[in-house]
Amino acid sequence: MNKKDFISKLSTYLGGIPVEERQDVINDFEEHFKEGLAEGRTEEEIADSLGDPRALANQFKANILVNQAEKTTSAINITRAVLATLGLGFFNLMFILGPFIAIVAVLISLFVSAIAIIAAGITIFFASIFGPLIPQYFAVLINPAVAIFGSIGVTCFGILFFVGCIYLSKILYRLFVRYIKFNLRIITGKE
Amino acid sequence: MNIQFKKGVLELCALALLAKKNRYGYELVNEISKNISISEGTIYPLLRRLKNDGFVTTYLEESSEGAPRKYYQLTEAGKKMERELKEEWLIFVKKVNSFLKGGVKNE
Repeated sequence: MNKKDFISKLSTYLGGIPVEERQDVINDFEEHFKEGLAEGRTEEEIADSLGDPRALANQFKANILVNQAEKTTSAINITRAVLATLGLGFFNLMFILGPFIAIVAVLISLFVSAIAIIAAGITIFFASIFGPLIPQYFAVLINPAVAIFGSIGVTCFGILFFVGCIYLSKILYRLFVRYIKFNLRIITGKE
Repeated sequence: MNIQFKKGVLELCALALLAKKNRYGYELVNEISKNISISEGTIYPLLRRLKNDGFVTTYLEESSEGAPRKYYQLTEAGKKMERELKEEWLIFVKKVNSFLKGGVKNE
């Protein structure tokens, strides 16, 4: 593999990261080749000792996407970061994808619970107001005042619970990004 | 040598080399690969990570050959990191060595 092959492979596998970042990475390798050639090595020797451009690109990608996820909190960013780390080998499948799925599952179930509680509160509220008007559809067996205030309470609790879930997600997001970064420090790739 | 060993110490090696003086990428790669056989390209993602995390900064400097070189320099945080990692490493090696020599006394 000569310099041109190496750089073009690297560039291809770096797809999906911002253009300036990609150019910056490529410049570093261009410089590396230049220095090596000046020392009298051949392009092939230099490319060989650099290693597999795909493995290298995966390492850059994982680092860059994790940083992006750290800077801008978004579900898409964290998912891309997690997917990028999977390119780095088996350990990341175990140590990153596993916990990621677990966290997402727990958060989804919490959010669904919160929404269910809010929905239940609203349903009881309207049922206790309109129920007496259409008794053939709704039979409210407790005192309507209790039902109305109770349902407002339930709805408020649901909303609080929902807000709590949002905070929890943010905290878990930050912790998880830190956890991925920690993993990238020890497990950086196949080779 | 075990590949995970190498990965772990690569960061420390790079920081330690930069603690002595500012170096450009090729120079760093050469210094490290002289002693530790590793695919040389791996150092570049490492350097980028150190830069993103604020442990090193880079600047361009003209070389005698004409083409500018990108130099890496430790920041204050990087110097602190280097000291801490070195300290940890030395203690760790000392303990492992004492196991290997079998001279550990029960406490």
